[in-house]
Amino acid sequence: VDVCTFEKVGIRGTNIVVLGVEKKSVAKLQDERTVRKICALDDHVCMAFAGLTADARVVINRARVECQSHKLTVEDPVTVEYITRFIATLKQKYTQSNGRRPFGISALIVGFDDDGISRLYQTDPSGTYHAWKANAIGRNAKTVREFLEKNYTEDAIASDSEAIKLAIKALLEVVQSGGKNIELAIIRRNQPLKMFSAKEVELYVTEIEKEKEEAEKKKSKKSV
Amino acid sequence: MAATFFGEVVKAPCRAGTEDEEEEEEEEEEEGRRETPEDREVRQQLARKREVRLLRRQTKTSLEVALLEKYPCSKFIIAIGNNAVAFLSSFVMNSGVWEEVGCAKLWNEWCRTTDTTHLSSTEAFCVFYHLKSNPSVFLCQCSCYVAEDQQYQWLEKVFGSCPRKNMQITILTCRHVTDYKTSESTGSLPSPFLKALKTQNFKDSACCPLLEQPNIVHDLPAAVLSYCQVWKIPAILYLCYTDVMKLDLITVEAFKPILSTRSLKGLVKNIPQSTEILKKLMTTNEIQSNIYT
Repeated sequence: VDVCTFEKVGIRGTNIVVLGVEKKSVAKLQDERTVRKICALDDHVCMAFAGLTADARVVINRARVECQSHKLTVEDPVTVEYITRFIATLKQKYTQSNGRRPFGISALIVGFDDDGISRLYQTDPSGTYHAWKANAIGRNAKTVREFLEKNYTEDAIASDSEAIKLAIKALLEVVQSGGKNIELAIIRRNQPLKMFSAKEVELYVTEIEKEKEEAEKKKSKKSV
Repeated sequence: MAATFFGEVVKAPCRAGTEDEEEEEEEEEEEGRRETPEDREVRQQLARKREVRLLRRQTKTSLEVALLEKYPCSKFIIAIGNNAVAFLSSFVMNSGVWEEVGCAKLWNEWCRTTDTTHLSSTEAFCVFYHLKSNPSVFLCQCSCYVAEDQQYQWLEKVFGSCPRKNMQITILTCRHVTDYKTSESTGSLPSPFLKALKTQNFKDSACCPLLEQPNIVHDLPAAVLSYCQVWKIPAILYLCYTDVMKLDLITVEAFKPILSTRSLKGLVKNIPQSTEILKKLMTTNEIQSNIYT
């Protein structure tokens, strides 16, 4: 569902998973806090979606209930793959029954499993899901994915801050007006979801810009 | 009438309807064909309502002759649809001084207002401009839908009944990608993308691939192109297939290859500034919609 949607980027690092989304401009009288794009499904899993907000709300609620039901039944938190499969199965059901229309959302689901390995999955309205190392959804997903393909290296994701910077750099490729339109969330192993404040995002953006300047200076020195 | 076995004549029911019924039907048909004065009045009122009027800018009076019969024209660029109009506004209209020459006012069921006599200037749907430094270069910004019955009137009022052949027409418009006939699935198409269709007399090359068979175009762009083909006027239509029909930055930017063609050469100066103007146009027109995230 790529029409009229804003960019979402998901990156799976070694010790961290990062979700970055493009913030859409909020109306003056609108409470910004209620325009949420990154939602926690459980303490160790979160998801970002692109598409119809109302459809996403329904899917997220069902996923959240399923996470708790699973925990109560088998006394283990869901694996990221399990909850992704649940969401994908739910979406598929709506493509195959009369009188209902598919859920108009694509989702990026990230988290850590009990075995300590980070996961990133993407689902689409047809109900298919795939695991990714890094992916983007939204109108300009192709451009962002190309950037990720070029810049996703084992070094880039080994350190937490590098993974975060990669997500921000990928978004800056397509987001208009820079850092203040980016929302970021991370999950570190055995830690709950952390949403970045605007200031924290700005810090990373300035660091990225500094690095870019230094790289350009080095290049011009070499050519001189 | 049928003869029975015993020789008597019996009036048999005719499956085609009785003779009386047939007579009645014929009478009804005749009445239907006979137009009452009320019918005529209604028909004339409707024709008046749907008339395409070309008005002069200053005086707001109707032009007596067709626009291009009154003014000599060497180049005519027509933008139809909100994305094409935004492209010309940002890239062409701010690179020179364009003077409004007139506007076309029309009403059809697609219009948002029902009042046909008091259309405000903001609702002047088809505005015609010419370049002050070269008055034979014309531009038309058409952001309304011109219905099938009005297209011929529009062409007559703009081009006239005997148009000159030494002008070049460029038409820009958008279409939804589902209209693009292809064996591939629409999801795999790189929308937005540009396709061109030109008349036989257009000798220059297009800046994008030509529209493949079945090369069907619709509405006013098709009417203008057909007209130009019939009158042997060189014309080219640049059609942008997009998946977002509302005003959209990526769709408008898909028209950029046209800036390098002969049609727009010399008319575009400051491209970075134009991009800024385009972005501003997008944000001011952005409808606050919370449906999508």
